[in-house]
Amino acid sequence: MSGAGRIAAGALAAAAAGPAIAALVPPGVLLSLLAQACIYAILALSVGVLARQNGMVSFGHAAMFGAGAYLAGIGLGAPGLLPAEAALPLAVLAVAAVCFGLGLIVVRVHGIAFAMLTLALGQACFEAANKARGVTGGADGLTVALPREIFGLPAATFQRAEGMFLIAWLAMVALAALAALLARSRFGLLTEAIRENEERARFLGYGTVLPRAAVFALSGGIAAAGGVLYVLYNGFVSPETVHWSVSGSALIMALLGGTRTVWGPLAGAAVYFLLREQLVEVTERWLGLLGILLVLVMVFLPDGLSGLPRRLRRRHGAEA
Amino acid sequence: MSAPALSARGLARHYGGVAALRGVDLDLVPGEIRGLIGPNGAGKSTLVDVLSGRAPGSGGSVRLFGQDITGLGPAARRHAGLARSFQRTSIFPALPVGAQLDLAARRVGATDAPRLLDELDLARLAAVPAEQTAYGDQRRLDLALALVGPPRVLLLDEPAAGLTAEESLALADRLRELARARGVTVLLVEHDMEVVFRICERITVLELGAILAEGTPQEIRRHPEVVRAYLGSAAA
Ligand SMILES: Nc1ncnc2c1ncn2[C@@H]1O[C@H](COP(=O)(O)OP(=O)(O)OP(=O)(O)O)[C@@H](O)[C@H]1O
Ligand SMILES: [Mg+2]
Repeated sequence: MSGAGRIAAGALAAAAAGPAIAALVPPGVLLSLLAQACIYAILALSVGVLARQNGMVSFGHAAMFGAGAYLAGIGLGAPGLLPAEAALPLAVLAVAAVCFGLGLIVVRVHGIAFAMLTLALGQACFEAANKARGVTGGADGLTVALPREIFGLPAATFQRAEGMFLIAWLAMVALAALAALLARSRFGLLTEAIRENEERARFLGYGTVLPRAAVFALSGGIAAAGGVLYVLYNGFVSPETVHWSVSGSALIMALLGGTRTVWGPLAGAAVYFLLREQLVEVTERWLGLLGILLVLVMVFLPDGLSGLPRRLRRRHGAEA
Repeated sequence: MSAPALSARGLARHYGGVAALRGVDLDLVPGEIRGLIGPNGAGKSTLVDVLSGRAPGSGGSVRLFGQDITGLGPAARRHAGLARSFQRTSIFPALPVGAQLDLAARRVGATDAPRLLDELDLARLAAVPAEQTAYGDQRRLDLALALVGPPRVLLLDEPAAGLTAEESLALADRLRELARARGVTVLLVEHDMEVVFRICERITVLELGAILAEGTPQEIRRHPEVVRAYLGSAAA
């Protein structure tokens, strides 16, 4: 089977697993947690795409996530202006477009400096969300009333765990499949080459800024899609959503799972949420424990949890 | 007379107070393999950097078959037909050997990637990430990335750096065949005199950022200044 065929088959199987999980898990707290986990997994996926294709570590992706949520919320709050079916995709496209423009500048910054820059930009967005009371509701946040129907589905579907879990699960699978197809496309190969050795790529005749900005835009768009789902589910968005700690959690998920594979950050998000659920029962210092786990993973599995199969295969191969 | 393949006039470059190039003129005849030699720090790599657009010159001009490329960046120069390799191996470590060559070929509309893989003995490694190949394979990959196309003019900065004497000679012979068959003009920076004398029709000697001598291998071997500055008694 070709690579694209394998991705399609994997995506279909993963999509089919969604209803099965929804049927097995009783509606309630756990399913609600799974719905939130899928939404944050999309954010982790976006952080992973940027790391995998561009080799860039972002400490500011909550800004794109939050921007998607706010823009969708504002759009839904003005139903006379735009139907929801247009407002939601527009929120994603607007964030992607801004990220492309921003990307033309920030992708020239490398390594730690880029991470610091995203942290600063993220905090600027946090401040803006707090200050622009007229638009965002300031620190009180923005309460969003959904129209009766969106895309033919009743509003309640988006705001109940059973409905949102399925929607977010399918969105997560579709976006991951998109990212995987991109990664194995010619464009994906080019961005990996630039990640590996930008100078040599230029000497082969390639411009390197546009492809990197395009990846930044795609990553921002994926994060924004997560934000759109977030505001649909919660009917509310506040500056907390844009806080750097959200960016930090997404980065932890991505690194835990590993960014060498497209699906690594999804696995990281699953582990993050499951562990957090267990740990908060035991101690208030759950974040510290997760931090220690992250350090252990980084030291012993630099490619993250998703690098484990490869490592085992290699070890097995070496012994055989 | 037709335009030189590559023509430089008055190239200069400073690093802080150090003048690495001090007004270098160079003309490559289409199809020739020119050797560029000189002691460590003579400015050979700096000259290749300025010619290829890696480093801005602080003066002078560069023409490729008559076209002024002085103001162009590396990517535009590659499209104009000028390619280079690197003294310190510059490849894409995590990518499979074949994929990187395809990437290089596609950009310039070349179809010779599979054949070049074969000719440089890399075909068996096509699916292997470059970082998992031997050093000598990586050096040939660096060369292949520059040679695919083929470009009209090729600047090679010590392609045999770090290879054994035997490997160097084998690579030189292969390089001569490939360049001849493709009609590529080559500027070859090389420390190994045996290699240079074997495959270069003409040799340019650089010392302290200026051209000290230029001539056939026989002339260079006997040139008193060159012998004093560079070859010493080794060439005698
Ligand atoms: N990035 C740099 N910063 C400062 N000085 C430099 C830099 N690169 C080269 N130089 C200086 O410029 C001069 C020419 O260096 P260059 O690398 O071009 O010499 P080379 O002939 O290629 O030497 P080698 O045979 O060792 O490769 C040297 O004096 C070197 O110290
Ligand atoms: Mg050098």
